[in-house]
Amino acid sequence: MKEVIAIIRMDMINKTKEALMLQGFPALNANKVLGRGKKKVNFALLENILSADDLTHPHDFASPAMAEAFSEGHRLIPKRMLSVVVKDDEVKSLVETIIEVNQKGKPGDGKIFIMPILDCIRVRTGETGELAL
Amino acid sequence: MLMIRAIIRPEKVGIVLSELSDGGFPAVTKMDVMGRGKQRGVKVGDVIYDEIPKEMLMIVVNDDDKDDAVKIIMKNAKTGQRAAFGDGKIFVSPVDEVYTISSGSNEL
Repeated sequence: MKEVIAIIRMDMINKTKEALMLQGFPALNANKVLGRGKKKVNFALLENILSADDLTHPHDFASPAMAEAFSEGHRLIPKRMLSVVVKDDEVKSLVETIIEVNQKGKPGDGKIFIMPILDCIRVRTGETGELAL
Repeated sequence: MLMIRAIIRPEKVGIVLSELSDGGFPAVTKMDVMGRGKQRGVKVGDVIYDEIPKEMLMIVVNDDDKDDAVKIIMKNAKTGQRAAFGDGKIFVSPVDEVYTISSGSNEL
């Protein structure tokens, strides 16, 4: 058995749930989390913003307030974390489904982690192993 | 690859996150959790609080980076010189595979 943990964009949760349902993975745990990735703020861009002291467009991208918000650096971004436990041979199709639905090709689409699960017990009946999935 | 899950005091999250970032671990996921430890919660008078708010940090690293990351968390999540009960726990578990959704590549 494997646990597939996927961290995805906040607004992709419904589409992902629907796609997983159609693929035969109705059971999942979802959680709201905060996270950050490898990508940092583009400092070249930040310099441009800071040097632009043009106050004629205060709501523009180049506003000092915006620059200040950016310069705080590495912020945590709200994400959804899905966790699905499946049999070994189902991992591939699950991962493919998640990638297909969530891929926009931009940083921030998320990560998928696959971890081993040694045992699983159904509380209602006490069944163990893959029977309990 | 290894997943490090650290359960730490909420007030230590800021410093741990910034030190991790400086130490070369920018990617982190954080979530609110409640828990109790071996001390069975905190007893104030007659009341026992056994669901103490904590923050869980989740980091996935390459095997050789584990010690570095754990060291950074340990150093910054401690309270004071002697440290105290409730500073938290760090769990390390194996990760078989990692996929980046934006590129579809299976690397960290």
